[in-house]
Amino acid sequence: MTNSAIIQFHNVTKQYDQDPPVLDRVSFEIERGKFYTLLGPSGCGKTTILRLIAGFTEATSGDIYFNGKKINHIPANKRQVNTVFQDYALFPHLNVFENVAFGLRIKKMKKSEIAAKVKEALSFVNLSGYEDREIKEMSGGQRQRVAIARAIVNEPEVILLDEPLSALDLKLRYQMQYELRELQRRLGITFIFVTHDQEEALAMSDEIFVINKGRIQQSGTPNDIYDEPINRFVADFIGESNIVKATMIEDFLVSFGGGNFECVDQGMNPNEPVEVVIRPEDLQITSFEDGMLQIEVHSQLFRGVHYEITGLDQEGNEWLVQSTKKATVGDKIGLQFEPEAIHVMRFNETEEDFDRRLDSYSEGVADGK
Amino acid sequence: MENKGTRNLYMIPYALWIILFVIAPIFLVLYYSFFDIEGNFSLVNYKNFFTPVYLQMTLSSFWYAFLITAISLLVAYPTAYLLTRTKHKQLWLLLIIVPSWINLLLKAYAFIGIFGAYGAANNFLEWIGIGSRQLLFTDFSFVFVSVYIFIPFMILPIFNALDNLNPSLLYAAKDLGASGWTTFRRVIFPLTIDGVKSGIQVVFIPALSLFMLTRLIAGNRVITLGTAIEQHFLVTQDWGMGSTIAVFLILIMFLFMGLTGFRKRGA
Repeated sequence: MTNSAIIQFHNVTKQYDQDPPVLDRVSFEIERGKFYTLLGPSGCGKTTILRLIAGFTEATSGDIYFNGKKINHIPANKRQVNTVFQDYALFPHLNVFENVAFGLRIKKMKKSEIAAKVKEALSFVNLSGYEDREIKEMSGGQRQRVAIARAIVNEPEVILLDEPLSALDLKLRYQMQYELRELQRRLGITFIFVTHDQEEALAMSDEIFVINKGRIQQSGTPNDIYDEPINRFVADFIGESNIVKATMIEDFLVSFGGGNFECVDQGMNPNEPVEVVIRPEDLQITSFEDGMLQIEVHSQLFRGVHYEITGLDQEGNEWLVQSTKKATVGDKIGLQFEPEAIHVMRFNETEEDFDRRLDSYSEGVADGK
Repeated sequence: MENKGTRNLYMIPYALWIILFVIAPIFLVLYYSFFDIEGNFSLVNYKNFFTPVYLQMTLSSFWYAFLITAISLLVAYPTAYLLTRTKHKQLWLLLIIVPSWINLLLKAYAFIGIFGAYGAANNFLEWIGIGSRQLLFTDFSFVFVSVYIFIPFMILPIFNALDNLNPSLLYAAKDLGASGWTTFRRVIFPLTIDGVKSGIQVVFIPALSLFMLTRLIAGNRVITLGTAIEQHFLVTQDWGMGSTIAVFLILIMFLFMGLTGFRKRGA
């Protein structure tokens, strides 16, 4: 693991004066050649991590390693990383060519070599032929690409992207998501992407770090994080979810909403109070009698692809259901779900304990077979 | 129609002002420049302007205006840069601007006191052991006082330009490997050049025609075009020659404005 790690954080804390720390003893490893996303609400510390890697700010305590070397005090201009800024930060007095060539000129590269590299970088981002344009003549999406070209032309080992798509309109944003992901695959360099948009994170990443209040809440692949959120914050932040209070009666049996249900979770204390997550798309509407849970529908929205139905069960928990079937407001309907759809979360479980518990399931399954 | 009529109505005070106090005087100056001291129409003034006396005066005017502008710029740029980094930058800026509200003559007299034979400056030189010396009526004091007077006008546009600079551009430069000096040379300075240009305009052009300070501080040792105009109108009563010099001064100003560019003044 450590060999392929390009960036490592060891207990990194960043604190301004007496304020609560922006980052609180954060540790993680970034592997070479993957697409990482730092995901969290604004003010969670994700941009601070980026600035620490870029060298725009220094850690209050803890160590940062790049290729195994400690880089805490290396200035930004000596680091092998390049940033794509949120506002692109293109130089308005230089044209597209000179913007992209900026880093190469500083390296005192030969003119012919610069021209070739800039041309290549611009063709990578589909901007061939735009060399002589002024920045103010470029649209938002084009500026975005110039900013990316300016970063990749330096052939850095890591590219940092600070919410680069947030200024674009929805359609262009979707398009750029594909392009960025595609670009990362072609170049094979490490991308660290910061966003507060969970859909963006799920769509693009190899690995996601979910961050809140200066701490990494959970890290994992998009599937891991979506299907097995560690706590209420992650479940709530990533996608739509139904989170209800529950009691873990015993292994594979959990009680909530007035019934006991079979589940796939284990390794908790008997009768431990827990929370249960069920994604709205995992709930199926049936007749009142056939339902495992019964709810009274109190609102319904047509979303195009599906109906979004909310209702209350007998314990007063609110349930959100996404269904292609229509319901009627005021009706009582039944809900069905698979044992695998139930995800049980313990209170205050650390990520290590959580991972260990989940790993033990798969071992259990292997043993069982 | 009526809308356009009222708009034109509002234009009247300004138009009157411009016609009476800008356009008419320029034409008057132009008109007078074609009469010799006897009141006969002639081109003799223009011929005289190209004699060594006036050419040298022009040259020395340029030289002093250049010195004053250059020194102002050298002091103002770092000052403006520092100002943008301070916490209460607007307050500091105000403190720098305030002296420019005080009458020029008052400030000149204050400097006569400071630079005089028994003034504060000489007391200080005595105290550190250099001994008192002639400060007033020297080139040094002339340039010093002029720079002092013009500096707020140089700082203001440069400060505005620096303050408008997007800080993420500086991060971007650093990110791409630029050192502090390279960032300044390739990003900060080119992006604040408009501020510098308008600073140069508001200092160089008035400095070209300074005349009061040349008498009060430089003791008429420095004869600039401004001084010459004053002398011709008030002492020799040769209004024609005075006007001719003024015509050349106006031409030089327009030329200079053209060279430094009109666009985006003050950023």
